[in-house]
Amino acid sequence: MNRLPVCIAKLLFKNNNLILKLFKVMEIFFNLWMLLHPTLKKLIMELKIVFFLIVVSVSNVLAIPAYSQVAKVSLDMENKSLEQVMDEIEKQSEFYFILNQKQIDVNRIVSIQDDNKLITDILPELFKGTNVNYVVLDRQILLTTDPLENNLLAIASGTDAQQKQITGTVTDNNGTPLPGVNVVVTGTTVGAITDINGKYSIEVPQGSKSLTFSFIGMEPQEVSIGTMTQIDVTMTESAIGLGEVVVIGYGTARKIDLTGSITAVKQDEYRNQPVNRVDQILQGRSAGVNIMNSSGAPGGTSIIRIRGANSITGNNDPLFVIDGLVGADFRDVNPSNIETIQVLKDASSTAIYGSRGANGVVLITTKSGVSGKPKFSFTSRFITSKVAKLSNIMDAGNFAQTVNDRADALGYAPRFTDAQVEDFIKNGGTDWQNEVVRTGNGQEHQLDYSGGTENVTYFISGNYFDQDGILINSYYNKYSIRSNIDAKISDKLKATLKASFTRRTNNNTSGNYNIYGPLSQSTIWSPTTPAYDEFGVLTVRDPICSINANPIELALNDAISENNAFNASGGFVYQIIEGLTLDLGFGASHSSTQRKNFRLNAQEKQSSASRASTEQIFLQSTNILTYTKTFNDIHKLSLTGGVEYQIQQRDYFSVDATALKFPELKYDNLTLCSTTIANASNTKSTIGSYVGRISYSLMDRYLVTGSVRNDRSSKFRGDNQKSTFPAIGLGWRISKEAFLRDIDFLDNLKLRASWGQTGSQAIDVYGTVSTYNTDAGNAGVAFENGLLTSGINLGNPGNTALKWETTTQSNVGFDIAVLKNRISLEADYFVKNTRDLLLLEPLPRYVGGGNIYKNIGEVMNSGFEFSLRGLILDNSNFSWDVGLNVSLVKENKVVSIGSREFITVKQGAGGGIVSFAETILMPGYSLFSYYGYKCLGIWQVNEATEAALYGNVPGDYKYEDLNGDYGITGADLQIIGSGIPTKIIGFNSTMSYKGFTLNTFFQSMLGFDKWNFVYAQSMTAMDAREYTNADIMTRWSPEHPDRMVAAFSPTRRPQIQSSLFVESGNFLRLKNISLQYNLPNNILKWADASIQISGQNIWTLTKYKGLDPEASSNVGDSDSRGPDAGAYPNSKSWTFGINLTF
Amino acid sequence: MKKISYILILLLVASSCTEFYEEDLSSLITSESGALTSETGLTAALAGSYKPYGWAFNMGFSNGSTMTVLSGSDDITTHHGSNKEAQREFDRFKVSNVSKHSDRIWRGCYKATQGANNILANYENATGNPEVINQIAGEAYFLRAYSYFWIVRLWGEAPLVLNSHIYDEELLTINSSPEADIYAQIVADLKMAESLMANKKVKPGRACKGTASAVLAEVYLTMAGWPINDASYYAKAAAKAKEVIDNKDTYGFDLVPNFADLWTSPTYNADNNKEEVFALNFAGRDGRNANAIVGKCARPGEMNGWDDFFCELTFFNEFPAGTRKDVTYLTSWPRGDGVIISWQQSATAHPYYKKFFGNEWSQISAISLPLERFAETYMVYAEAQVMATGNTSDPEALEAFNKIKRRGEGVPLNTPNAAVDATSITQHDIITEKGWEFAGEFCRWFDLVRLQMVQEVVDKKDPDDLQPIGPVVYYLPIPFSETSVNTNL
Repeated sequence: MNRLPVCIAKLLFKNNNLILKLFKVMEIFFNLWMLLHPTLKKLIMELKIVFFLIVVSVSNVLAIPAYSQVAKVSLDMENKSLEQVMDEIEKQSEFYFILNQKQIDVNRIVSIQDDNKLITDILPELFKGTNVNYVVLDRQILLTTDPLENNLLAIASGTDAQQKQITGTVTDNNGTPLPGVNVVVTGTTVGAITDINGKYSIEVPQGSKSLTFSFIGMEPQEVSIGTMTQIDVTMTESAIGLGEVVVIGYGTARKIDLTGSITAVKQDEYRNQPVNRVDQILQGRSAGVNIMNSSGAPGGTSIIRIRGANSITGNNDPLFVIDGLVGADFRDVNPSNIETIQVLKDASSTAIYGSRGANGVVLITTKSGVSGKPKFSFTSRFITSKVAKLSNIMDAGNFAQTVNDRADALGYAPRFTDAQVEDFIKNGGTDWQNEVVRTGNGQEHQLDYSGGTENVTYFISGNYFDQDGILINSYYNKYSIRSNIDAKISDKLKATLKASFTRRTNNNTSGNYNIYGPLSQSTIWSPTTPAYDEFGVLTVRDPICSINANPIELALNDAISENNAFNASGGFVYQIIEGLTLDLGFGASHSSTQRKNFRLNAQEKQSSASRASTEQIFLQSTNILTYTKTFNDIHKLSLTGGVEYQIQQRDYFSVDATALKFPELKYDNLTLCSTTIANASNTKSTIGSYVGRISYSLMDRYLVTGSVRNDRSSKFRGDNQKSTFPAIGLGWRISKEAFLRDIDFLDNLKLRASWGQTGSQAIDVYGTVSTYNTDAGNAGVAFENGLLTSGINLGNPGNTALKWETTTQSNVGFDIAVLKNRISLEADYFVKNTRDLLLLEPLPRYVGGGNIYKNIGEVMNSGFEFSLRGLILDNSNFSWDVGLNVSLVKENKVVSIGSREFITVKQGAGGGIVSFAETILMPGYSLFSYYGYKCLGIWQVNEATEAALYGNVPGDYKYEDLNGDYGITGADLQIIGSGIPTKIIGFNSTMSYKGFTLNTFFQSMLGFDKWNFVYAQSMTAMDAREYTNADIMTRWSPEHPDRMVAAFSPTRRPQIQSSLFVESGNFLRLKNISLQYNLPNNILKWADASIQISGQNIWTLTKYKGLDPEASSNVGDSDSRGPDAGAYPNSKSWTFGINLTF
Repeated sequence: MKKISYILILLLVASSCTEFYEEDLSSLITSESGALTSETGLTAALAGSYKPYGWAFNMGFSNGSTMTVLSGSDDITTHHGSNKEAQREFDRFKVSNVSKHSDRIWRGCYKATQGANNILANYENATGNPEVINQIAGEAYFLRAYSYFWIVRLWGEAPLVLNSHIYDEELLTINSSPEADIYAQIVADLKMAESLMANKKVKPGRACKGTASAVLAEVYLTMAGWPINDASYYAKAAAKAKEVIDNKDTYGFDLVPNFADLWTSPTYNADNNKEEVFALNFAGRDGRNANAIVGKCARPGEMNGWDDFFCELTFFNEFPAGTRKDVTYLTSWPRGDGVIISWQQSATAHPYYKKFFGNEWSQISAISLPLERFAETYMVYAEAQVMATGNTSDPEALEAFNKIKRRGEGVPLNTPNAAVDATSITQHDIITEKGWEFAGEFCRWFDLVRLQMVQEVVDKKDPDDLQPIGPVVYYLPIPFSETSVNTNL
């Protein structure tokens, strides 16, 4: 049975008509539409009910500790009515009675005499000889004549002609009905309990002011009655609710039972903010998760790291599991469709994902429908954004004068006549930066509707998003549709299908430009060169400064990516016996991307265009058996075991055409050209896995979780294909211990510790194979001019002995919640050691160059994480909620790289103007430290003799000569910075006053360096033949010996690769500020409406000279984040939105 | 319970399906799949072995770096300012071991060697037409020899690796081989190349037996000078050069009568002329397979060129006026506003190499780049013969020398001309004449080093040219990419 999907897949892959077959399979799954598995939300609900019922049915005599075990009452009442006695009890204590007056005779005369007794002792006495059953739930005392077990939910107060009836529905944040909520007329014993659909009906006495709603795990709420007859209430979960259930790998668990480090980002934290991607949700809202918007373009790229980067060669992105689809693309899920999002950080949480868990796991579950009448939600947003900052480039007059000054200093003829200089001073020139930026506008519309019957529910969502970037000719648009369906086939069998389709179109948004990009070039084209000639034709060449293409031309080139992604996942859950369920899950994903590139290349009159098509197919079969049982009330055991198979296939082809005869046809005609080069490749990889987990808790105090996964991957050979990843986690809820039980303000205190191993496959397919280069770049040659002959030559040598990288992680932490959960803190300390690191060891040129993969390295990460939440103010009108996340990187360092002293890694950000790899891996230092010369300042007049030994004169830059050979060579290269932040802080604040909600969100990253290649370009005259940055005007001179910019001289050699251009990247940024106003219900009768205005990145505190400290030019494949060679900056933007729900 | 056990068994049964975990290599050519066991494979591998000579701005000879690494000589210099910091260090004898310019040459030569090694290890067992296979093997020997000839002249002692096609950890700790060993290998390889190749070129961009012989003559001549200093090689060089000259029709070589016709211009296509002994050919429109030494790289900034290389003043001033000088240099050109300026009025105040202007105003093109020109064989012969015989008036040496001189002065090259012809030639005369004939053509620096004349020309540098920092250095530092991995180098 488990092998069926695999074999289907195998069959498919042997057939060329793959897609057709795939869709047939999908069709089969669609036909199984009705059979689906319980949605998470339902599970949560059910668990809550179960919990409630367990509590209730334990005994007619109360067994719940806490208040009833503590509060004591003294009564001395002779011949009083029951009502008077109850009043007295309520007066003396916080107990209140809930009863149906039709059932309970409150006028019954009783006599009672008790001194300082527990309520549990008083009640039997009070109702002795009656048919009244009672139960104490915390501070509530339920009185009924019905058998308790059957009728609890029906307890409601009786009707009374003089009373007013109020009805309503109680839901949670997501609109899911909450059954079992206590609804009490404030200050009285009159109450009701919501039914299975969250509905209640209560008769309130005349003059009642308000209703109090309470539910375990939720914040209690008080609502004024006024003249209303219908009161609907949305309850929010308390910070640490007993019933809070979180999704863990291949299952769910109560948050309190967790032994691992898991962060759940709640919808409240981002609901009011215009997030349209998952990474925006996670950024700054989860301790230990570091997200940098390396491209600020709409739809641009982000770098996501959970607890640092472990792998040097491999991808360090976390594993995304979306609706069970392992390794999904987070861009395929629309944030507003997300029900829950959890970040698994420590090994006891991630080891269940084995060979792919080393970088942390992000689990996302999308929403399900709720039975009931259809509910619609419509949101529209309008966005406008602007560039936050530009580089400080000279105007035309200063530039022309500086060019002439330099010619003078170097002894050649001035480039501009005095008259020209005067003219530029008077009339100005071209502001190239302003030529390539603009105001980018955008809009987003979303419609959700959900509903269903008791047996089938649906959630349907459609979204359209369209945004222009702040750089001309950059844009992103997306439309997506999702359909989530859940069905209850029988009491034992449930089925689910979650399917989504997304189309994304991006143009020029990858944004990690190197120095040849439009932003960088816009800083080195001469301000004296006009952008267009008198005929309106774009200037082709800059005669003075840059040797590269016009920045406007560069910006107008296209790099379009059109992606269609279809994802489906779901399966069946069958309850075999009580506590034992079988979950047969499937996942399928089809993604096709078409890239369309066009370069005008006017300088060479050689425009080129290309198309590349990538089709990726992913199939997954996951079969999990779960057994949960509680023994003797105190032993809770949960066992999980299963198998999973995955196949990933990638099919690629591309055509490059050069020298287009009609450049205006771009990529839509690749035949009218002089050369075309075609490429194709086809790769496949498979993984088969066994997973197992055991969770045990004793008296809800002592918790232990053990898990293991065994993976087998096609990327390796022989015995190295298989590996096992174990983990264990321990937890101790100290707050449950007797010695802490009396501390009233302490709601929860839990210690956690875990240890485990995870892996990373790190390499792409074929890492073990020695392959040949076959492409025109590496191996093509012309034996006759104009005719390309294809060829082959050796590529990287393979290494058959490759195996997984293994990461061993230890974690200790604690959770504490005080003052009715109003303040909570989660703190963790972790140490991650990755060994057998797959390293791409560069080989010397003399053996053919290239690289070889080896399992030789070791990397260590350690750090602290804190997550503090506090409800500072909370009353009916005003509430203020704050959250602070702090991640402190203690160590991120290379421990070993085998026998070599260091390995250098070229990043490519500096393009042709750097002459050596920009980054280095060296034991003891952080990954991808910057590698270059250390600038010691300027040679001063009294150092002329020494300067001459280096071929320099006073006024030139002085570099550190490590080996003292009077030459600045490779031997003098050293570590000059690191791009990895050591402190990441996120601060979230939400204030609500009546219908207004103000949210502010700050983020700060500290302790990292930027390598500013844009600044370097404008201060070195490499591809820019002259200097353009305004800083060049404050040059060194004997009269100004303290200036830090070298004078003009023939021997001035500003090194691009030097500390001169490495700056601190520290920043504090107001990532978001938003104000939302919920319109009062009486304005729109038919809908709840809210309007919202918000600003992103509108304030940044940084000393960084570049446009944006977050943006980086990560053009290589490695994990370096610092270089900025004209990366796309994050923009300042304002969003206006409205939401209607009805 | 039965049902449960059944499901459990189903779920947990190990998949014995190993096929499921096998890597699919169907779209690849791998060493394991026996790529080089056939004529087809060898043909492709040969193309891939030539490739490293001509990957502009990445590796090989087809970009300005080739000029840069030779700019210690007196025929090439670069801009005082602009963006030429990395180029200037070669002219000033203070070269960094992280220079991208020297790296391109080093890398191209060694990558070609790796391809050649792979072919040579496999060709004997390959199936196919033996003639075709022998030709391929001969070219592989040639490529290996030619690569090492550049390496040994630029770097001196260097790693000599004949099995770099197989990854071997031990290769990462080897020592450099002495120059003598490298030369011995070059000679042996060229002899093998001669024995295996066809007389004439199969394609304009490929080597033939004549190519190997002509280069062998040049190798012998080099071995007669520094650092091998074995004068007996003059005789060998003379004999080998004469053999090539005498059999020029067999090899398909000849001198082009008109010097100007050696260079492709917008109005003339010189590709595949008979004087090309070994020339790289290019696809042109594809930047990865283009000639980038011609065009922008050679042009002055006023013409929107890159000013990458141009001529030193003393060399230019001593260059006798006439046809050859007119063809070689551009001495006046239009400024951006159309006004014609002299080289003295230009930003760099230097004359430029018109030879390398190419046929279009672009950074890349598809015109051939002759690395070895047949005229050099004549000059090799003249010098070797004079030095071997000690007779400065050896008639055959004189005739070889005078053919080139006559053409340079614009008179018929095969007709004795008393007004032009030299009647006695010293080695110094030959080197000087050769310098003018091959100005900017990858020849002058090697001659100056071999005869240890570098200091002599440096002493004559015009004060307006770049001056050395410290003493003259003949060899380039072995790139840091190599010494950082193998500290034994």
